[in-house]
Formats: sequence, structure tokens, C-alpha cells
Amino acid sequence: MGRHFGDLAKIRHVITYSISPFEQRAFPNYFSKGIPNVWRRFKSSVFKVAPPMILMYLTYTWGNHVHEQGKRKNPADYEKDQ
Amino acid sequence: SGVWNFGSLLGLCLITQILTGVFLGMDYTSDISTGFSSVTHIWRDVNYGWLIRNLHGNGASFFFICIYMDIGRGLYYGSYLYKETWNIGVVLLLLVMMTAFVGYVVPWGQMSFWGGTVITNLLSGVPYMGDTLVQWIWGGFSVDNGTLTRFFGFHFLLAFVIGGGTVVHLLFLHETGSNNPGGVNSDGDKISFHPYFSYKDLLGFVIMLLGLTSLGLFSPNLLGDPENFTPGNPLVTPPHIQPEWYFLFGYGILRSIPNKVGGVLGLLFSILVLMVVAILHTSKQRGLTFRPVTQFLFWTLVGDMIILTWIGGMPVEHPYIIIGQIGSVLYFGLFLVLVPLGGWVEN
Repeated sequence: MGRHFGDLAKIRHVITYSISPFEQRAFPNYFSKGIPNVWRRFKSSVFKVAPPMILMYLTYTWGNHVHEQGKRKNPADYEKDQ
Repeated sequence: SGVWNFGSLLGLCLITQILTGVFLGMDYTSDISTGFSSVTHIWRDVNYGWLIRNLHGNGASFFFICIYMDIGRGLYYGSYLYKETWNIGVVLLLLVMMTAFVGYVVPWGQMSFWGGTVITNLLSGVPYMGDTLVQWIWGGFSVDNGTLTRFFGFHFLLAFVIGGGTVVHLLFLHETGSNNPGGVNSDGDKISFHPYFSYKDLLGFVIMLLGLTSLGLFSPNLLGDPENFTPGNPLVTPPHIQPEWYFLFGYGILRSIPNKVGGVLGLLFSILVLMVVAILHTSKQRGLTFRPVTQFLFWTLVGDMIILTWIGGMPVEHPYIIIGQIGSVLYFGLFLVLVPLGGWVEN
């Protein structure tokens, strides 16, 4: 049942290279390339994630504000009182 | 990526809930005269009873965090195209929701009683046999002892039904293997479960258990309702009846429709709509990784669900009513119209 190693895919004309872990650094360029990469990933997604979240926040604050206002007296209702 | 951890995390959640639940069941009594006080007894007298109850209650919240994240991953990366696995997943969601609902009635606090009363009464919307159906579920003419005893039984039973459903869910998943963030065939890239996924899953377990213990030990009542510290009383109605946070989005949709049957159908279809996403998949690409328009719509759905969750916990007053109605229309509009349209535009 299910898939098995040896029976998954036949791939031809793919050459792989590898180097021993003892011949390389464990985390090469972790900060020098990593930090600019985080900025790149942020830039590429911020305009898709942020607008709905901002809209959500604005709806939340507006809704609570209007609800609070509705609980207060409106001076215009009492203008004609003596 | 990390968002593929939620499947194994759900398995851990289920085991945690079953283990803590079995131990709670050793000292809980499902009678209305002793139910609430047996929970108090567990908390105060049973060795580590407070911790077991804490983990069980907050564990339910983590169960829903994981299930919503698992569904979110499925929607974002087009994993729903594994139709059998996906549809059994939707059934599992419904089972988990039913288990959580009857489980919340068990402690017999005010919110247990009144939440149970509100939701079971919705069945009276069924044509012709509605009222009879509700009384049959209740085992009487209101939520009373008959309801509590059977709900405890259902809660215990459903946990194992979920276990069985999980096995079938995995059976189908293992026919195809998992999806991946690229949405491409990965037959040529398979690696062994051990040590890669064993350690990856273990890391996920550690992070989730860290979250669960942090919540349970630093802020155990953050997600709970204070009303449930009061024993259930049919003569005193709480001013704001609301379910736990994980049901609030559906509660918001239910209350947005000013018709009992309409609201119930809205609630039901808010879950069942998941079963049509595969049919409405229009894009030539599987996931959203290279689809910016639909990505924006996905995050709009996330924002909308948070808004509906907020609205579900608010009183039914202006402007919460209109926000809930717009949010409900947007929810269904996204699934049925906007996302299929986005896929077609991106093609």
C-alpha cells in the first residue's frame, strides 16, 4: 500500500555534486546574505499580507469607536430643551 | 516547510486530549447535581488534577489552532487537490467541532449550560420534525440531566471516532505522499522519515508543548469565559452567551443572518464550503506561491476570519451587525467567487 523507495520515479540526465561536511562551513554567510534575504522575502510579500491586516485593524478600531459613540448622548437631541 | 508540521501536531493534540481526558473521566461524575463540583474536586483534591484539567481545556484550544493552520496550509498550497484526504479532513473538522461542543457542556458551568441550550435549539429549525429532534437530543424538555449524561458519553466516544477518522485520513494521504511548497511532483526527491521528519516533527512537538505549558501555567484562563466558574443555572441567563474562541467566526456568521434556519445553514455551509474548493480550483498552478492576486485574497480571508471571530464575541448592536454581515458575505464570496476568479485571471 502506498509508494515505495525504488518505485517512485526514473530520472535521467541529472548530475548531482556534493562536498564533505568537513570541507565546508556549517552556516556560510548566515548574516551577510541571510539578513538581506529576509528583507527581500519581506518586500516580496508585504503588499499582499499587510493591506488586509491593516484593513482588519481599521475596521476593528472604527467599529469599537462607533459603538462607544452610540452609547453617549448626542447633544443635538437636546437642543430644543428648555 | 514548517507549516507541514500541523498534521503530526494534530496527532499529538489528539493523544494529549485522550490521555488527559481519560484521567479526568476517572473522577468526573456526569450528573447535574455533582458535575460542577466533581470538576472542582479534580482541581483541588486529585493529585495534579489541576494540571490535567488545565492541559485538557487549553489543549482543546491548541487542537483548533493546529487544525485551522492545517486547513490554511491546505488552502494556500492547493493540498485540497488530494480530494479524498481533504474531504476526510473536513469530516474530521466537523467531528472535532462536535467533540469540543459536547465537551464544553460537561463541566456544567453557566456557559456550558447556556451555550449548550442555544446551539441545541438551532436544530428546531429543521422542518416538521425540528422540535421533536431537539427534545430527542436533549433527552427531555430542556437541557437537563439527560443531556449531560449523554453529552459526556458522546464526548468520550467521539474522541475515538476521530482516532479512526485520522487513520483513514492518513491511509489516503499515504497513497499520494505529501504536497510541497512548490506544488510540484516530488517523487524524485523523497527522503527517509527517520531522521529527517522524525526530528522535524519532534521539534514541532517541543514548540507546541512549550506553547501549551506557557499558556496553561502563565495564563490558564486567557481563552476561557469567567461565566463558567458559576454552576449552570436554568433560571439565570448570562448577559452575553458566547462559545469558545474557536467557534466565534461561525457564531458571527450564524447571527448575521436574521432568520433562524438561514443562520443555521450559514453556520453549516461555513464549514461545508471547504468541500467545494477542489471543484472551484481554476488555476493552472497548484499552490499560491507564484500567484500574487490569490495570495492577496488568501490574506483577506485570514483577516475576514479574524474579524468574524471578533464580531462573534460582540453584542448584536450597531455597528457590529453590519460588519458581521459584510464579513459573512465576504467569507462566502472569497471561496465561491473571488478565489476562482483570481485563478482564472492569473492564468
